[in-house]
Amino acid sequence: MRKKQFVKVSSAAILLGSVVFLVSGTVQSKEPLDDAADFDRLMDAVAYGDMLWHTGEGEGGKHKELSTNGLGCANCHPDGSATQPQSWPKYQTNLGKVGTLREMINWCIQVVQNGKGYALDSKEMIAMEAYATYMNRGAKLDPGLNAQTAPFVISGPGYPTNDEGNR
Amino acid sequence: MREKDKKIFSEKEKITRRDFLGLSAKGAAATMIAGVFSPSVGSMIGLGGVAEAATKKIKPFTFAVMTDGHLYNIKDHRFDAMFMKAVDMINNMKPRPDMVIYGGDIGQTGLEAEIKKGKNMLDKLKMPYKVIPGEHDWYLDMGKAWRGFFGEENWSINHNGAHVIGMNSIKIDDFWTGPGLTPEERMGRVLELECNSCGPWGVEEDGLEWLKKDVKKVSPDTPVVIFTHSPLWDYYPRWNFATKDAPEIRNILRKFDNVMSVHGHVHQVVFNKIGNISSVGTSSTSWPWPYPPVELPYPHIRHNRLDPGNFEDGMGAHHLSVADNGVGTMFYDPFEPSSIPDAVKRGVKL
Repeated sequence: MRKKQFVKVSSAAILLGSVVFLVSGTVQSKEPLDDAADFDRLMDAVAYGDMLWHTGEGEGGKHKELSTNGLGCANCHPDGSATQPQSWPKYQTNLGKVGTLREMINWCIQVVQNGKGYALDSKEMIAMEAYATYMNRGAKLDPGLNAQTAPFVISGPGYPTNDEGNR
Repeated sequence: MREKDKKIFSEKEKITRRDFLGLSAKGAAATMIAGVFSPSVGSMIGLGGVAEAATKKIKPFTFAVMTDGHLYNIKDHRFDAMFMKAVDMINNMKPRPDMVIYGGDIGQTGLEAEIKKGKNMLDKLKMPYKVIPGEHDWYLDMGKAWRGFFGEENWSINHNGAHVIGMNSIKIDDFWTGPGLTPEERMGRVLELECNSCGPWGVEEDGLEWLKKDVKKVSPDTPVVIFTHSPLWDYYPRWNFATKDAPEIRNILRKFDNVMSVHGHVHQVVFNKIGNISSVGTSSTSWPWPYPPVELPYPHIRHNRLDPGNFEDGMGAHHLSVADNGVGTMFYDPFEPSSIPDAVKRGVKL
């Protein structure tokens, strides 16, 4: 390839590349994290996690994966307390290794609730992690924390009430 | 009451002529004594004690306490074994407690079968027992099954010079009629500790009136022990670790020198003192609740961090010993000894 021709081709390639970059940059740019729609999607997951956490029911009714002895997550962890999402990954004696919150949720399901457990990337597992994390929002990251913690204080006599019973 | 229980009480209680006259004059009050006591024996230990209290003499005694079994209607559930372990532990206490108080939440979802299962195990106690209701016993059938098994929800007895009260503190304003909830839906809401639509609990107006009448003629120097499911102080209202009319209850009991409040519901070691009333929380035989995100008034009276892999850690029974000076000491009798700090093991003064 002659030098003049190479320069022409190269220039065209650079121009095309720039256009592609600009266009793809526009298409691929992420919506802001505080966008209402994104937050609604998160809250849908939190609400599903809340449901699993408290009722033992998920999509399709009772989930045997979650419990077969009547116990649910909320028996021991009201408001997602003592789940410490801010502390994971950490060494957990019951897991016998450095593990994640999702692994610990499955440990509780399998050992305490006699359930089968969920795949770590399942909709249900992510929803329960979302619920526990949302309920502990604001907690300072503290990997390895072992002390028992509870979520933020909500004062007053119970919850704001609505007809749907949502928190 | 079973024959062996009658025998225990007939040996323990010495009815004097004065006691008997007091009994005759206040026969109507025998209706307060219900539950596991037949009227005749209930009158013997109850109204006999009214006269005893006036003599200001306390004969030391011990009551055992167990609570919050949360039994499921599932055969051979592990909570059954824990419940029975507490019964066996109490049966083997030496000296044998005079009586056992059960602090509420026998069942988990309020089914008659759950409460019956618990009663069958409580019937294996070698001493008399009294029961107060918890919210899990109540909101499926509004206490129908519980009342059928145990009788009145508010009761009092007099024992060895002390006045002992049990009250239903889990009454909630009607939140179910408006939304048209079924009994199962109502119970489903209530069994969540953080129920948003249930509202706060209390003994409500009729309970306050009952309490006023009950203690009206009890002399201020009589030691009072009061059992409720929920704490008589604002510990953490979000989880109903509180009783909405506790201030009124404390006001009614203000005349007494010493009031010892023992409550269930919190599934944990906790203590508070407001004026003349000391309150102590109890361990369950099911699961422990985490400590809520508030500062404990007495942070040294709490249980240790628990192992979720040990199903007995943090659970157990208790006994309350009242000395001749009217001062009580609550002892935790844990299934797993390491769950209780040594200082707490030595007893909590009430």
